[in-house]
Amino acid sequence: MSNLYKKKHELWLHITFASFAINDEDIKSRLYEFSLIAFRHMKWIGTNLLDNGKNYNYDRGMKLSKRSTVFEVIEALADEVKNIHPLYEESVLGKRCQTDDDYLLEYLSQILKNADNNKEVTAFNMQRKWLDKNLAQEQIDALTMFLFEESYKEYELILVYAFMQARTDDSLQFSIFQDLIDESHFHLKSFGNMMAKMGILALPRELHEMTYVIKDLEKFVTDGIAEEEAAKVMCKELSDAIKDEELSKFFNFINYQESYHIELMKKLL
Amino acid sequence: MLENVKLPEGMNPETLEHLMYPKNYGKLDEPSCVGVAVDEKTGEYVIFYTLLEGETVKDAKYATNGCQDTVVIGSMFTEMIIGNDTAYAQKAIKKMHEKLGVMSEQQQVCADIVFSAFVASMINFEHKSEGKDEEMHVLKMKESCEGENINE
Repeated sequence: MSNLYKKKHELWLHITFASFAINDEDIKSRLYEFSLIAFRHMKWIGTNLLDNGKNYNYDRGMKLSKRSTVFEVIEALADEVKNIHPLYEESVLGKRCQTDDDYLLEYLSQILKNADNNKEVTAFNMQRKWLDKNLAQEQIDALTMFLFEESYKEYELILVYAFMQARTDDSLQFSIFQDLIDESHFHLKSFGNMMAKMGILALPRELHEMTYVIKDLEKFVTDGIAEEEAAKVMCKELSDAIKDEELSKFFNFINYQESYHIELMKKLL
Repeated sequence: MLENVKLPEGMNPETLEHLMYPKNYGKLDEPSCVGVAVDEKTGEYVIFYTLLEGETVKDAKYATNGCQDTVVIGSMFTEMIIGNDTAYAQKAIKKMHEKLGVMSEQQQVCADIVFSAFVASMINFEHKSEGKDEEMHVLKMKESCEGENINE
């Protein structure tokens, strides 16, 4: 199995979760853009492997860089970016990845030059408080479980759809998988940032191949539609339980997005 | 880690720790036996890897596509059985029920799929000991999990 693919998968997560962990909206936003670039690298490296008769999997060996200041997060991330460089091949794709990473390192070094950026990171403090909301403890508990459940599920969906997208010759399927991947990126970002806000940011658990090596697309889609229905129910219950207008509107919004995912998935049948 | 963290009342700190950092999650490279419990209705599964040294559970890991209750129970259960003998591991299932207190029907299903996967791994070990060529043993669940939460 490809070590480069594994390391790029890990780097995508490192950048993504660094973005979630940092409160500064400018840094958060720029890092998230870099994380999507890293995800595209991962996709292209995977396609390249398949084109050459090789394979890849979603095994990981990483731990999340839990740090208490922005500079610690940025320095740890820079180390991860540097570690992957020796693995890039001499190719157009290898050069592309290298130059993207070099620019990311330049951006990280710019952050480190400004001491004002070195704010406290509260994403891992486990306090489970939403500072500008007055949520009852049972609402916090419900929100906590929802965020763990759904952040894993969105990560799982991104990887499962990407795995199938890389292996289909059907242009309609390819397009639907891309829509679903894009949607799940948005949901993962939303939930990850909420977890960070509550001090419970954690990596989604690793995917076992039984989850993403799909032998029966029809059954997978049928089960997936049932899961989307269950997610809609969870969103509705959470929206009803949380007596906060802003959060309730957000979960209603997610609920209606899930409805359209079901329509997209039906097209796969 | 938790001893230095003051948690608000509500969700049990041990549960939160298992949620954020599930213990023994993943695969074993060279397990003695592998068991799978699968809910065919929902497609949810738990795969359980057990490494035995004599009668002792030297190591154990699990993976699942199931809900967070399943993850937390798998994390707690593997911590309980590692380093103990297989007879203790069987008893640990009862101990786990006591530890988890009064569970809802759905939470019970989540616990059962974890325990069934472990039992399947033991059956796989028996089959291998008898000379059967069985990569993993699979048990099908009778009840389905709809994913209620353990947060007490």
